[in-house]
This record gives sequence, C-alpha cells and structure tokens, in this order.
Amino acid sequence: MGIKIDALKCTNCMACEMACGYHRDDGFAFLSACIVPYRAREKKDYFGVLLKEEDSLVVARPEGTEINRIGEEADPDKEADASAKPMLLREACDLCEDMKYGPMCVKICPVDAISVAE
Amino acid sequence: MEYLSNDKILVVDLAKGDVEEEELSEELVAERIGGAGVNARLYKEYADDDPIVLGVGLLTGSMYPASAASVLTAKSPVTGKLCHCPVTLKVGIEIKYAGFDYIVIKGRSDKPVYLWIHDGVADIADAADVWGKDVWETTDAWRKGVGDDLLQTMVIGPAGEKGLDCAQVCYNYWTGPDRFGIGKLFGQRNLKGMAFRGMGLLEAAEPEDFVDEAFELLEAVKGNAFMSKKGLGPICAALGEADAEEWLSPVVHRHSADYFTPYATNTFAFIDEDPAAVTETAKPEPGVLISDIPALLAFKKLGLSALDAAKAMQACARQGVDPMAAATAGEKGGKTSIDDILSQVAATTEPAAMEGNGVFSPWCPRKPIFGDFGASDTDAWWERRQAVAAIFGIQPVFAVMCPQLTEESMISLSNIGGELELDQETLDTVIGDIAG
Ligand code: SF4
Ligand code: SF4
Repeated sequence: MGIKIDALKCTNCMACEMACGYHRDDGFAFLSACIVPYRAREKKDYFGVLLKEEDSLVVARPEGTEINRIGEEADPDKEADASAKPMLLREACDLCEDMKYGPMCVKICPVDAISVAE
Repeated sequence: MEYLSNDKILVVDLAKGDVEEEELSEELVAERIGGAGVNARLYKEYADDDPIVLGVGLLTGSMYPASAASVLTAKSPVTGKLCHCPVTLKVGIEIKYAGFDYIVIKGRSDKPVYLWIHDGVADIADAADVWGKDVWETTDAWRKGVGDDLLQTMVIGPAGEKGLDCAQVCYNYWTGPDRFGIGKLFGQRNLKGMAFRGMGLLEAAEPEDFVDEAFELLEAVKGNAFMSKKGLGPICAALGEADAEEWLSPVVHRHSADYFTPYATNTFAFIDEDPAAVTETAKPEPGVLISDIPALLAFKKLGLSALDAAKAMQACARQGVDPMAAATAGEKGGKTSIDDILSQVAATTEPAAMEGNGVFSPWCPRKPIFGDFGASDTDAWWERRQAVAAIFGIQPVFAVMCPQLTEESMISLSNIGGELELDQETLDTVIGDIAG
C-alpha cells in the first residue's frame, strides 16, 4: 500500500502538507509533513508533489512520477526542489495508521489528486 | 490569545527604525474577532500615525477550507476610507506561520527599507539595492538573499515608489486585490515591501473536534458542481462572459489555488512558451499568474487577444500597477494596440474607478459566482461577504462562490479552535463597524 499522487490534477493548495503536519504535530503546522507540494519554481508555474516514504523520495511531476531511492545519488540535473533536502530528514509516510480518518492527505485534498494504491 | 494565534502584535516605527511586540489579548479577540476587525481597532489606536495595519484572520492557515487570506488595512488614498485589502496566494498564511498576528506600521523611514519577518523575529532591513527595481527583480533578490525560494513577499514596483494612486502592493510576482493605492502608501513611507517565512505551529483548543467539523464542511463543499472546474475561464462564464472562457483558452497553462482553497482561482497564462507544455520550461519567465478577473475582462473589452492581455498583466505585475487602472487608462486614451497599452502601463497614474463603497476590493467579482446564496440585494450581500472573509481570513473569491462556508460555521470553528464564545451578535457588530 502507498500513496499515489496525480500531479496534473493538483492545484498546489498545500492542504495535504497541512493535513500531514497536523497528523505529526497535533496542531496546524507544515513543519514535519512528509508530503509537500513543491512550489519553488513559481515564475515558471511548475509544480507537483514530493512524498517521503521509508526508502524512497517520490517526486510526482506533472509529466510523470519518479521514484528516487534514498541514499543513491540523485541526478543533479533533476533535483526536484529546494524542499527535497529537508524532506529527507523527516519521518516517512506511515499512511496515518493512527488516524481515525486514515490517510489525512487523501481525505483533505479538495480535488482528489491523492489516493491510496494497493 | 493562546490558540489559532501567535499571541503577538508587532508595532514597527519606520521613523525611529525600531520594532516592539505586544501580546494579543483574548479580550481583543473576543470583541473584535480577528483580521479586519482587529486591524480597524489597531488603526484607531494608532490613528495619529495614520498606520498601515496587516493582520491575519482568526482562521487563517487552519484546516477551515479556504482559510488562505490575511488583510491589509489602511486609509486609502483613492477612496479616503479605511479599506481592507485581502492578502492572497500563500502570502496570507505565511504571515501567521512567520510568527505574528498583527503588524502595525507607522512613521516614514528616511531611507528605503523592507520588513523581514521570520520565525517570530522582525527586522527592518535595508532596501537600497532594490529601490528602483521592479516587483520581479525585488522578490528574486530577496529570495536569493536568504537562499529560500519559498519566501513570500509583498512588494511595490516603480509606481509605488513614485507615489502614484494606481500603485499596487503585489504578492510575490503577481498583481492582487489592491485597488486602493496601498502601494502608494508603502512608497511614501520608503517601504519597499515585506518578506515572510516561518515554520510555526498553531495550536487549536480542541483539535479533533475542529478537524471533524472542518472535514464535514469540506465534504459539503466538494459536493458543489463547480468543483469539476478550475481557473478563471469558468468563473468568467458564470459571470455572464461566456465567450471569455474560449478567448482565454489559447494561453492557459495551469490553474492553481490559494492555500487550501478548493477551487483554483488563479490561472497561469504562458506568453512565450507553449501553454500545453507539461515538463518544466527552460524559459525563466514564460508568463503571468492572473487572479484579477475584472481587469482581465477589461483588457478583453479593449479588443486585446488573450495573449496580449497576458502581456499587459505581466507588465502591470512588474511595474506594480493595478491592471484595472492600466486598462481604464488605456480605454480613456483610446489605446487598442498592445504596444500602446504596454507603454501605457508605465505611464498610468490615475486609479481605476471604484465600484462599491470603497472599503472592500472590487478585484473580487461583485456577485455570486456559481453558488446560489439567495441574496436579494447583491451589493449589501457582497459587502457583508467580503467583511466576513476579511475577519476570519477566507479567500474572498471563494467566499462569493461557496454557500456552505457560512458565518455560523466560521463562528463555530473559531470557538472550537480558539476556546472562545463568539456569537452572531459580536460578528454583526464587527461587520457593522468595518463595512463603512
Ligand atoms: S498518508 Fe498520512 S503520513 Fe502519509 S503522506 Fe498522507 S498525511 Fe502524511
Ligand atoms: S491537497 Fe491535493 S491539490 Fe492540494 S497540494 Fe496536495 S495534492 Fe495538490
């Protein structure tokens, strides 16, 4: 099981990041979220979603999803975002196993860009 | 104020070059709720200094849907009234997460400065290197300076520096709701802008109850038929400008939303890149983010193609000129070619004619979009809706779109999250006070 992101549907609203942060910190915060819409290339209107899993960093780009195994040297030309770095220090996605709503990012995404894949 | 807040008011004296902090008392919140309600009170308190007040809504940056906005309150040089200008995109929430709820700016600096607000710290920083630069260059310089592309900014361009009534405070790189000439007020104070970044944590008194009710509300919001649509085209169509959607479509790249706003109220137009491109463009500045529906339609009315309208919007964003003012000046001057309009942008001085009572920005369409609110007097309904959005921190365009975001639900979530006992009567009083 894992989280699946449709980056083309995403509207870059940051709600998933908030929901994940809430799951970690029991308050409203973005600090510890392991799902983060990347939005640093604002002038180019290029955005998608990063997800930290146990062994990999998933980069959901509009053109397709890329899975980088953590520890392996990432292709420097394809560096996802400035936010990729702090992401690696965060806890990996646990599918919100202790939350009554299940995966909070799935629940909150207003445009249903996030789902759980078997 | 312990919850949904940083418990901090910042008072900045640009003349003396110092900053002071005060607590945000629970009594003030109980009486004035938040956002424009508290801003107006702070304005009164410091009225002798004619300050600019920036405030977050009580629900801003929470899990209440569309809680994206903050609000700038100042005496408008255009309307002469105390006006409340929404702070949109992701700038509105960054203010709260950067550690402050309210910022009172008084006095005039004797040299160009900007406010740099980060993780609960406020600095008055030198802006000599960006004075004279346009909005894009300034945001780029500030982001580069701290090495963080997620820095959120409010910036004036040359129009604000010159102290023109058409000057707008822009957000990051884009034009926004300022039809009030707040950009001029920044310029007069030698204030180039503000930059925000922070990783705060906002506690809710009853977080689980808050989330339960917010999710219930979100489900109801998601039931709206408009949720299958995105961007400005369908909004234009819903406002009776059916052909605008088709007109715009050749330049549309993607649509994006302000923080947790269920409908994407921003459309990015590509100017010198193929709008159908999905991979990252190599062009550093391929287009412009548009949120100003009335201005877009005004450029269309001048006979411009969507591509040319996007060019005009981009020029306004760089210069820090209200695009509605530029379109109005273009119309008055009988300008119809894009070259004439582009040279018009930098020459614009006059503000756009103000629709409504001059307190809330007609950047937000002045009638219901998609949703049925059962409003009989649309003007009064719109003013009230804008007031409520400015108090709680709701994205103003979504506020006139989504009937499920009721005043009752905002009061209820504020009480659950803030351990407050707000009621309709309090809200009515605050609305009556700020709505002019
Ligand atoms: S499922 Fe939970 S832990 Fe995993 S990304 Fe979503 S919110 Fe975060
Ligand atoms: S909640 Fe959905 S639309 Fe919003 S940023 Fe996350 S994936 Fe994108």
